[in-house]
Amino acid sequence: MTGRRLHPFTLLAIAGALPALAWILPAPAGGMWTAAVALLLTLTPGWRPGLVVFRTALLTAAPFWVFLRLLHDVPTTIAIGLRITTMVASFVWLAATLAPDRLVEATVARGWSVTAAYLFAATITAVPTLRDRARRIVEAQRCRGLSPRGSLGNRLRALRALALPLVLSALHDVDERALALETRGMVSGARRTPLAPPPDSAVERAARWALLAACVAALIWRFK
Amino acid sequence: MSIRLLALIPVAAAISLALSAAVDAVALPLFLDTTGTILATTLAGPGVGIATGVVTSAVNTLRNPTFWPFVVVQIIVALYAWAAARAGLFRSFRTAVPAGLGLGVIASLTSTPISYLVFGCTTTGGIALTTALGKALGLPPLGACFFGSFLSDFGDKAVTFALVTSVLHALPRRTAARFPWALRAIGAA
Repeated sequence: MTGRRLHPFTLLAIAGALPALAWILPAPAGGMWTAAVALLLTLTPGWRPGLVVFRTALLTAAPFWVFLRLLHDVPTTIAIGLRITTMVASFVWLAATLAPDRLVEATVARGWSVTAAYLFAATITAVPTLRDRARRIVEAQRCRGLSPRGSLGNRLRALRALALPLVLSALHDVDERALALETRGMVSGARRTPLAPPPDSAVERAARWALLAACVAALIWRFK
Repeated sequence: MSIRLLALIPVAAAISLALSAAVDAVALPLFLDTTGTILATTLAGPGVGIATGVVTSAVNTLRNPTFWPFVVVQIIVALYAWAAARAGLFRSFRTAVPAGLGLGVIASLTSTPISYLVFGCTTTGGIALTTALGKALGLPPLGACFFGSFLSDFGDKAVTFALVTSVLHALPRRTAARFPWALRAIGAA
């Protein structure tokens, strides 16, 4: 089963449980198992996309190993490196498989506050828009002769000239967004109807509880 | 919470994540990843600021997995910015920059234990290298880790406070008056 077919809460539970277990279980064996499982998960989105996710996870984790070796001895590097690899691989896999719209639908279907889901999904969609705007502002200011190089003072002045239009224009969007939300009946306490709630099987629900139980059991075993 | 303040949170969080394009253009060793949190707090108070910080960390975790453990730092930044806004410290650069330097010390004190315990002080390449420099200077491991975090946070938070001050003063009064804390933060109310 690929990650995209799993319920969003199951994806979140797996991505949360693996790093938790990596830190709870004794190093290096615990970290080795969790890192292996997390790296295997990155291959689940299919052969080619899976390899891309796998490579992204490895490339993201690699600098940590270099810096850990720079600062620590070999056993510490392995212990912390495996934990970080687990966390990186889990979150890279989560980012590749978790669709924000499915998460919103799942949250609404569960009857939880739509506000939290809105905040998460709206931020994810707003970031690329603002990044594009930031790039356009950088190009426009360069056309006007702004030099972002030179002394520290010169660079700080250039930063102000680049950041200020971006932030002010973003703040002016707030009123437009508020109006759009009001029009769509986004008031606190309002119950919404999900259009296409992701299916949540009994097996997946049991698996989520099992992951939680595994983390608690590992914690008790480790500190008893 | 009013709809306007709710709409402000994702915008402010996205500002934090989009400013990297401006930072890249000037090639300065800055993060500016708390700009949205500080801005939201100065405009709308601590609740909105904390929500912005948590959303910023959650969304950024999908891009950079090392971000989530530092969500505590975002919350502390929001509370500190609220105290600074209440005191009207965003009224000029002369008051905002020292307040930002103070936040740099607090942020590095908060992030050091997380960076040390979770990442072995390897959060970013810059922090790892400055930590290595601290070790070479004879500092103990935790001290070297604080040295690395301090060097990266100290200037970053001062520049962030200065940038937020610029934004608050550049906002038209009519727009600023729509947010409950904006005028108080710049000492105009």
